[in-house]
Amino acid sequence: MSDKNYSSTDDESLVKAARKGELAAFEELVFRHRDPIYARAFSMTRNEQDAVDLSQEAWIKGWQRLGQFQGESSFTTWMTRIVINLCLDHLRRQKRHRTDSIEAMDDEGGGVERQMPVVTVNPTAGLERAELRQKIDGALGQLSAEHRTVLVLHEFEEMEYKEIAKTVGCSIGTVMSRLFYARRKMAALLAGVRNEND
Amino acid sequence: MNEEQQLKLQAFLDGELPEREAREILAWTQRDGAAAALLAELKNTRQALVKSEPHLSVPESRDFFWSKIEREIQRLEPETARTPDASLFAGLRRWFFPAVALGALVIAGLIAYLNTPKTVVDGVADADTTTVETTLASADATTYRDAGEGTTLVWFSDDTTAIN
Repeated sequence: MSDKNYSSTDDESLVKAARKGELAAFEELVFRHRDPIYARAFSMTRNEQDAVDLSQEAWIKGWQRLGQFQGESSFTTWMTRIVINLCLDHLRRQKRHRTDSIEAMDDEGGGVERQMPVVTVNPTAGLERAELRQKIDGALGQLSAEHRTVLVLHEFEEMEYKEIAKTVGCSIGTVMSRLFYARRKMAALLAGVRNEND
Repeated sequence: MNEEQQLKLQAFLDGELPEREAREILAWTQRDGAAAALLAELKNTRQALVKSEPHLSVPESRDFFWSKIEREIQRLEPETARTPDASLFAGLRRWFFPAVALGALVIAGLIAYLNTPKTVVDGVADADTTTVETTLASADATTYRDAGEGTTLVWFSDDTTAIN
């Protein structure tokens, strides 16, 4: 490993150097992008230690697959896709461990959310950005992993239904259904939080 | 409102409907209060989320976080296997050395060919071939061969006589 200082080198050059085996260049990439990669892992798993472990695993996979990075998307987007896939595998393993099924969870949660009264007032209006973030974080933590995953991929990753279906490995109909229930539950949770504070 | 209608309303919000269907849903929300209210709730939730993704930082120092990654990379793939020097050496070993060996063989062959003396066997050589050899230098003898004529002449000179 060389002692070259890469702090002012752009991502593209860092990737090229890392491909040639420059671990210091890869370390700089990790340093620059570790927070958003960790944040995505946390938003999906809701567990700090799992998010640290999965984001580190994603960086290791990133190093091994650098040759596959074509530069069609940004390096962060490419790394985010890697960590999302690892999180999905992790959640599947957890679910198998708990021996419950997606269908059972959908039936359990979906019906209730569909019958909930519509929240007519915007529960987040007038909140400071930091306060809103905190409330959303809390509400996300109360969603099931399946509903939260679809919500995160759609709202934060800006994926379309078709892309989410492919990533998660389910039908577009299931994506639409989960997204709907997730949004409705979020609305109810945010409204509930607001009412408690009022 | 049934589930299919609810999901179509959401697809309209997300821009996932074809233009004709989108126009139909828009018209529906304009005349149906419940549909308009549900659309407003979905829109508020989406806007709140898009603007407010929690910003999180890795709860470990840079060095500590990196150390595990570095250790694992080095365990999975020895560093020497990917260093530029190693790959350059491998390239030399694969292509350069065989090319040099082949080149040396060709040069050696060329030199050997050029240094091979021409031989005249039983007058088979070209008719114009004429060679002059100085042999027995110490004895002051010169040989003249003419393949065309098929003759060989040898002169012996006597320097002592000439001086005298």
